[in-house]
Amino acid sequence: MLPLQLIVALVCGLAIVALLFWGAKLLAGQTIGRVVLLVGVVALPLLLSVGNISYGIHQSSTTAFCLSCHEMRSYGKSLFADSRQALAAVHYQNRLVDRETVCYSCHKDYAMFGDVTAKLNGLRHVWAHYVAGVPKKIALYRPYPNSNCLHCHDDMRRFVEGAAHRPILGALYAGTTSCLSCHRSAHDMAKVEAGDLWQAQ
Amino acid sequence: MTTVDVTRKIRRSAVVAGLGLALQLAAALHWTPATFILSAAIGLPLVIAGGAMFLAAVWRNMRDKGAL
Repeated sequence: MLPLQLIVALVCGLAIVALLFWGAKLLAGQTIGRVVLLVGVVALPLLLSVGNISYGIHQSSTTAFCLSCHEMRSYGKSLFADSRQALAAVHYQNRLVDRETVCYSCHKDYAMFGDVTAKLNGLRHVWAHYVAGVPKKIALYRPYPNSNCLHCHDDMRRFVEGAAHRPILGALYAGTTSCLSCHRSAHDMAKVEAGDLWQAQ
Repeated sequence: MTTVDVTRKIRRSAVVAGLGLALQLAAALHWTPATFILSAAIGLPLVIAGGAMFLAAVWRNMRDKGAL
């Protein structure tokens, strides 16, 4: 359920539209009445809809939204895998990304159309969930791009000065060597299946 | 266009916009990825259609009265 304020606003908008439906005959005959109709039937519903949809788009970036599909539950559990190597677990448990939007932080492309691409991919996920069927093995649509890692790690001192990174920095920036070629474990599904999970005290 | 015609068209536009809002309200109460998409793909266009119908009715009425 969305926040109560949004629901109350939608209910009020709906009530106003209903009132204007019954009062249309009276209001249409007066100038001020026509302005009231314009505001109540056009501006207010439009404003409420834009607010509702933009809040929904914001909500669709949350971890809870991603994990609301059962196919993603085990990936959600992998955030708690007792692992110091698995990227998802390390980033989540050490609060390297915002926990509220952890899936989105790592799986959206950045740059100008990153959000749009992520939302379009989200539509494909929903289509697969409800219509086409979820593939047996869930995989990314394309190899994980270094640019997603570099969005945060780009000029991070620990990254730039890391002994393992220094010789291949150019290749990492160019994307010719994948970050995942060394950091192989993104989601530690073996630990999830074994129930080897970490929980903050 | 008579006053009765304008009123009828305004009421029709209010019904369409109201349906859009009602759909969004239902989706907000039962919030899932599917209802969000329904809300955005059907609810919002219905509200826009209701507004457009209202404006079209008023514009035609003003044109008929020579008020444009």
